[in-house]
Amino acid sequence: MVDLSLKIKDFELKNPIITASGTYGYNNEFDTFCEVNKLGAVVTKGITLEPRLGNEGERIFETYGGMINRIGLENVGIHTFLEEKLPVLKKCDINFILNIAGNTVDDYIRLAQIAQENDIKAIELNVSCPNVKCGCIEFGVNKQALYELVSVVRKNYENCLIVKLSPNVTSAEDIATSVQSAGADAVSAINTVRGMGVKLDFINGGFKKTTVSGGLSGKAIKPVALSFIDRISKVIDIPIIAIGGICTLADVLEFFSVGAKAVQIGTANFTHPDIAEKLINDLEKFMLENNFSTIKELQKKLMEA
Amino acid sequence: MKKNHLGTIKNIQEINKNVYSIEFSSPTLEKISAGEYVSILCDGLTLRRPFSVANFENNTTTVLFKKRGSGTEYISNLKIGDKIEFSAPLGNTFKIENKKTLLIGAGIGVAPLFYLEKKLEEIGAETFFAAGFLSESDSIKHEFDFVSTDDGSNGNKGSICDYLEQIIKEFKPEKIVSCAPHPVLKFVAQTAQKHKIPCEVAMEKVMACGIGVCRGCVISIKKDGKIQNATVCKDGPVFNGAEVVW
Ligand SMILES: Cc1cc2nc3c(=O)[nH]c(=O)nc-3n(C[C@H](O)[C@H](O)[C@H](O)COP(=O)(O)OP(=O)(O)OC[C@H]3O[C@@H](n4cnc5c(N)ncnc54)[C@H](O)[C@@H]3O)c2cc1C
Ligand SMILES: Cc1cc2nc3c(=O)[nH]c(=O)nc-3n(C[C@H](O)[C@H](O)[C@H](O)COP(=O)(O)O)c2cc1C
Ligand code: FES
Repeated sequence: MVDLSLKIKDFELKNPIITASGTYGYNNEFDTFCEVNKLGAVVTKGITLEPRLGNEGERIFETYGGMINRIGLENVGIHTFLEEKLPVLKKCDINFILNIAGNTVDDYIRLAQIAQENDIKAIELNVSCPNVKCGCIEFGVNKQALYELVSVVRKNYENCLIVKLSPNVTSAEDIATSVQSAGADAVSAINTVRGMGVKLDFINGGFKKTTVSGGLSGKAIKPVALSFIDRISKVIDIPIIAIGGICTLADVLEFFSVGAKAVQIGTANFTHPDIAEKLINDLEKFMLENNFSTIKELQKKLMEA
Repeated sequence: MKKNHLGTIKNIQEINKNVYSIEFSSPTLEKISAGEYVSILCDGLTLRRPFSVANFENNTTTVLFKKRGSGTEYISNLKIGDKIEFSAPLGNTFKIENKKTLLIGAGIGVAPLFYLEKKLEEIGAETFFAAGFLSESDSIKHEFDFVSTDDGSNGNKGSICDYLEQIIKEFKPEKIVSCAPHPVLKFVAQTAQKHKIPCEVAMEKVMACGIGVCRGCVISIKKDGKIQNATVCKDGPVFNGAEVVW
């Protein structure tokens, strides 16, 4: 038997395969494709204090090897989450991480307190959403603001605190270091890469131009994520959860080899809605066939490579 | 029941220039209703492509599609015997009611109405099927009750919208169902509302997840006096025409 389990602070995961925020809903929505409770964890859609309707206009644009989204954090808000979504997570025995986003420091504090009051075992701070006008992105790109935000959230939340980093920064190392010194238990990276899609139609002798500006995700951003994680793993000791274009077991192993302890699957859930469960099976099979008994052992070998 | 299926192409035909009919069977897909759709994995692409069901019998799904970009290009190149991976059934359904129903399709929008017409005939509902196309060469062959083409090369000349009042007056439908490009849908829904005839419209939007989680495909609807978001992929694609905020 192989042991795929791991622990981030006191947060236990059956395996290192997690589904990424915004691509997997709030709880068991993928149950017609996957055994959702087999996953290491599900990260919920980004939750704000009040419900949000999101952005007007086209929200999705497919690009080579990925997609751009500008959803604008449409979500039901924390209260409906607690009333309607949380009971399903509990009933279905789904391990989950609550992803939270705010416009102000106070929003984050309040959300962290609510998470604590409800004994939610892990939260992921979205400080890096490129799709909302003010608020969370600003924290994510300014190391001092981020340090202060994470420190104060830390004071209000005792369980596992994960901070999700943006790749749209000048120094990944500086950002990661300040998050660690502010007391985070782990970081996850990367959020989407700022991007733009342009579509031109030539009609009646004139051009009609449609543009979609937002966050790029999917296979196309994997090299960006690999480089980001490689750099931050050299400067911080807290666990890193890798995100960015992960689709195959080979991708998972590559991210382990640059220092990730777990991975999140995002856009690939759209291409292959059963991918997350398949990756768990593939990982288990690989370990079994190659005599790795624990994830730690596998990750150690990969880090030495 | 799991919703990811592996199917085999049974038939593929170019029925018009750039319009294809494809049939594929899968032992795991046993039922799909009119209005629901399938979402097909296309090699090399990130997002699956949604297509309405034009017919379904004996585990075999028929889809009619128009070649538009790389996804439909990929599907059009599949051969009999090739494998096809798809999610289904997705979305909601047309209501199958024993009412005098006017079906209005424009272009490739006629596809889901074929399956609906069949289901309505099975329960003995009277239907009148009106279709609009750009031209004769663009027309999809079927026993329609009324056809118009923009250039008049097949049936009546003009947009299907130009004839809507006349058709309503003569057929006196108790219900209207439409699938067509956005401007036509809007016109049909507003005309239906004017005549106080219940109307179902099948909408389109670029999709990512297909199951209501990513919020990429929302439209605005007005329900209980409140404007709210609805997903075309899960709450739709079939909507009450009077509730859509056009
Ligand atoms: C519920 C639903 C049912 C549909 N049923 C049918 C059908 O029965 N037959 C048929 O031919 N088409 C149908 N469509 C439209 C079909 O999904 C698109 O034509 C297809 O996804 C285009 O893919 P592509 O890669 O060839 O083109 P792309 O290169 O992706 O795009 C070409 C053009 O099509 C538009 N487009 C892309 N995806 C969609 C989409 N999901 N909906 C609407 N427009 C899109 C793009 O904006 C662009 O203008 C349906 C769409 C929906 C949402
Ligand atoms: C449609 C969509 C919605 C997303 N919503 C959120 C969100 O609400 N909160 C968040 O932290 N990240 C969100 N993300 C970012 C993903 O969680 C992930 O970081 C990113 O997509 C990169 O991973 P991938 O390449 O595997 O998709 C979203 C991504 C997509 C594609
Ligand atoms: S496509 Fe994801 S919500 Fe509709």
